[in-house]
Amino acid sequence: MSAPIISINQVHKAFGGAPVLEGVDLSIVGNSIVGLAGPSGGGKSTLLRCIQGLEKPDSGTILCQGKVGFMFQDFQLFPHMTVLQNLLYAPRLKDKSVAPRQRAEELLTHLKIASKADSFPDRLSGGQKQRVALARCLMTNPNVLLCDEPTSGLDVVTTSDIVSLLQTVRVMGVTMVLASHDLDFLTQISDRIIFLKGGRILLDQDRRQQTDSLDSLHALYRTSLSEEE
Amino acid sequence: MEAFFSHCVYVGRGLAVTLELLAGGFFIGATLGALLAVLRYNGVGVAFIKGFVSLIRGTPLILQLSLIYFAAPGLIGLRLEMLSAGIIAFGINSAAYVAEILRGGIESLPLGQFEAAQTLEIPRFFLWKDIILPQVFRNIFPSMVNEVISLLKETALISVIGGLDVMRAASMLSAEQFTYFMPLCIAGGYYYLLVLLIEWIGRTIERSHHQH
Repeated sequence: MSAPIISINQVHKAFGGAPVLEGVDLSIVGNSIVGLAGPSGGGKSTLLRCIQGLEKPDSGTILCQGKVGFMFQDFQLFPHMTVLQNLLYAPRLKDKSVAPRQRAEELLTHLKIASKADSFPDRLSGGQKQRVALARCLMTNPNVLLCDEPTSGLDVVTTSDIVSLLQTVRVMGVTMVLASHDLDFLTQISDRIIFLKGGRILLDQDRRQQTDSLDSLHALYRTSLSEEE
Repeated sequence: MEAFFSHCVYVGRGLAVTLELLAGGFFIGATLGALLAVLRYNGVGVAFIKGFVSLIRGTPLILQLSLIYFAAPGLIGLRLEMLSAGIIAFGINSAAYVAEILRGGIESLPLGQFEAAQTLEIPRFFLWKDIILPQVFRNIFPSMVNEVISLLKETALISVIGGLDVMRAASMLSAEQFTYFMPLCIAGGYYYLLVLLIEWIGRTIERSHHQH
């Protein structure tokens, strides 16, 4: 078993006194895709934000090897910049050579969005924005990519596009942690699915070893949804 | 008709002062207002900035102008020329309003824009310069045009400290000619034309920004 690229140890986080993460322990090995499932308020997004450093845990430790990229649920592209400018702005602050532009053009071609290089984000569809957001993350050469609800608001065809895109990213050697409500999406792509509810891990299923049915996951989901109602 | 044109020329002598006050006041107002808004958002000097905005908005501009021109020499030994005192007073006054307009604009941006920049390791200075403020300025542009129009009309207060602007020129002409209607209408015409010009410039800039 390879060394973990992300080690999360007894992480607690509360907002305004309401606990969101309650003692989460998790190790994620390199070059894997981990799906975080669970109901709303279960702690998926907060856990991702803690890993990225957008939130500071109240207690516990998170160790992450290498560079982390983050894809936001609502993309957060810079609306006053074109697609190419969105990709190039941050890298160009550090590298004034032609290398970032070459990389950006390669990525846009690879992600089949090169024709939109000069478009502004408000002219793009949800799926196209998702590709641009992914390309912008990849411009920083991350070892770990955290995606918050990557299929939220996307139709079935675009969702299946996202699955193949993320599989392409995996080939690049990027470890991914995906938080999603969409259990079907997660089961299609993840090596491991973690079910979070009430800030705790209720189920941790390694999909590579456990090839049996997804009954336990679906049962958990059904229970969670009925409780939400 | 000849009298009308000669009156227009007479009142028009005040245009230079009016425009200098407007340009100088707005430059200081926009720069200082932006600085105050960014500092406040970042939690720097919040109490001072809140107090400044409250005090400036809570007292008449004519009082602020009089304080700077008449009281400052005796108080701190600072004697300013009429135009400089006017530009500083209008600038400081405008800064308080601009800071509040900008605060609203910054707070209306999604927090995710700041977070996206953070995840991309964009340094703070560039975050504000290239990511946040360009978006904020676009959103608050109509309010800023309003602020310029208000400032233009407030410059008429310069006559209190003896500045020869459009309004004062009209008053002088009225006193010389013993007639008020035409000189005041001419002054009103000048202000109205300037407001139309500001609105046109505003619309042109706004349209060019939305053409993408």
